[in-house]
Amino acid sequence: MGDGRLSRAAALMFSFRRFDRSTTLFLSLLMLSFLLATFDVRAQGTGVGSVLREGAQGVFGPVQELATAVTRPVAGFIDGVSNIAGLREEVERLRAENTELSNQLVDIQSLRNRVEELEQLNDLEPIGDLPTIPARIFALGPTDFDQVRWIDKGREHGVALGQAVIDEDGLVGRIDLVASKSARVRLITDPRLSVGVRDLATNETGWVEGLGQGELQLKMFGAAKPVQAGDRLVTDGTRFPPGIDVGTVVDAAEAEASFALVTEVEPAIHLPEIDFVKVIVGWSPLDAGEDSEPSEPETNPLVTER
Amino acid sequence: MTGRPVAVSLALVVVAIIVQTTLFGDGRVQPFGASPLLVLAVVLACVRYLEPEPALLLGFTSGLLLDLLGGSPLGLWAMTYVVSVYVALRLRHRADDGAVVVAVGVGGIALMAQGLFLLASTLFGQRLLATTGLVKLVVLPALYTVVVAGFVFPLVTWLLRERTVGTWLR
Repeated sequence: MGDGRLSRAAALMFSFRRFDRSTTLFLSLLMLSFLLATFDVRAQGTGVGSVLREGAQGVFGPVQELATAVTRPVAGFIDGVSNIAGLREEVERLRAENTELSNQLVDIQSLRNRVEELEQLNDLEPIGDLPTIPARIFALGPTDFDQVRWIDKGREHGVALGQAVIDEDGLVGRIDLVASKSARVRLITDPRLSVGVRDLATNETGWVEGLGQGELQLKMFGAAKPVQAGDRLVTDGTRFPPGIDVGTVVDAAEAEASFALVTEVEPAIHLPEIDFVKVIVGWSPLDAGEDSEPSEPETNPLVTER
Repeated sequence: MTGRPVAVSLALVVVAIIVQTTLFGDGRVQPFGASPLLVLAVVLACVRYLEPEPALLLGFTSGLLLDLLGGSPLGLWAMTYVVSVYVALRLRHRADDGAVVVAVGVGGIALMAQGLFLLASTLFGQRLLATTGLVKLVVLPALYTVVVAGFVFPLVTWLLRERTVGTWLR
């Protein structure tokens, strides 16, 4: 019996020895990768992984910025040539949009006055007054699965983890890694990011999640009213400053009993066109509380009042 | 084998990563919403001229750099690239059978790499399977990688072959 076990152990050792050096190294590297992934997922973007990422960005960042200066015109030219057929459609769409916006503009002034009055009544800090830092995107994620962008402002400029990133159209994403001179923005199109939103038409709240490649998905639990196509969604002020445009509902949907309302949303931002962004500083989710005052931004020459 | 081919391969990978993160992607060059896996093409081209151990380490380093500069947890692309290099090492003796065989091999490994990354991501709790147009995001980059390999392979061959004749293991 004992001899049998010994011979089985010997056979196992013999079979391991039969691995050539490359297979042994392959298995070791595979195991190392697995361990790295396990620790990094458990650390949730902090710890050694974060330090390594900052270090890598410190090395690659300046070269990427330089390379972007060279490749941006090339990419722009190729993009322009490949989109030439769609330009006519785009012009027509913009004309229609322009007409619609002109009509809306008439109503906006009275609405703006009303909003200001309500904000004063509720002691709310208007989103337009939050200080921001302008930044430029200089690098993208290395694969199509990476819904991230690198911006050229970092800790030295006052950027911190969790801050909201916007452009003139709406919410772009959230800062999820900060290096000294650069920061990583996780886009709202990333399936790993969810944003609390409010439907301006119904005042119902829910959240949108990224689906990669541009589309978003709205989910609402216990929504009493249905959402309609064209309803605008803005941030609800839980993890992002309130009132930032997130997107527009594409298809009408209604919550069925005990089920969440789920529908698609067109993001407010146009990802392929984003070059410059603004990082909202001086606002944290704690400011959403009724009694708390918006935190004072640190004195920073790059901070501009919006 | 001297350290030169390894150093050249590493330099090529670094250049490929910089080009990949600045030229390809949403808003840059991304025909039909997908980009080639330039770094994988470079690694596979270098694998042909490296000994197995340096080739595996090159794959691991490349994948780790992608993890560090991307948005995925550390180790996922490293794992994917190590497996891709291992498969390439086992198949590289077929490289002399012609360009079609190489193209099929590169396309197949690129497809496998994308699939493996998705699988590993899902195992580690990433919600990438929720991505819309997933099939397109897996298949198109593999096709583009074959196209890019048509430019990368001759360049790498020119840079590495002269000085490594006789060390190409089969």
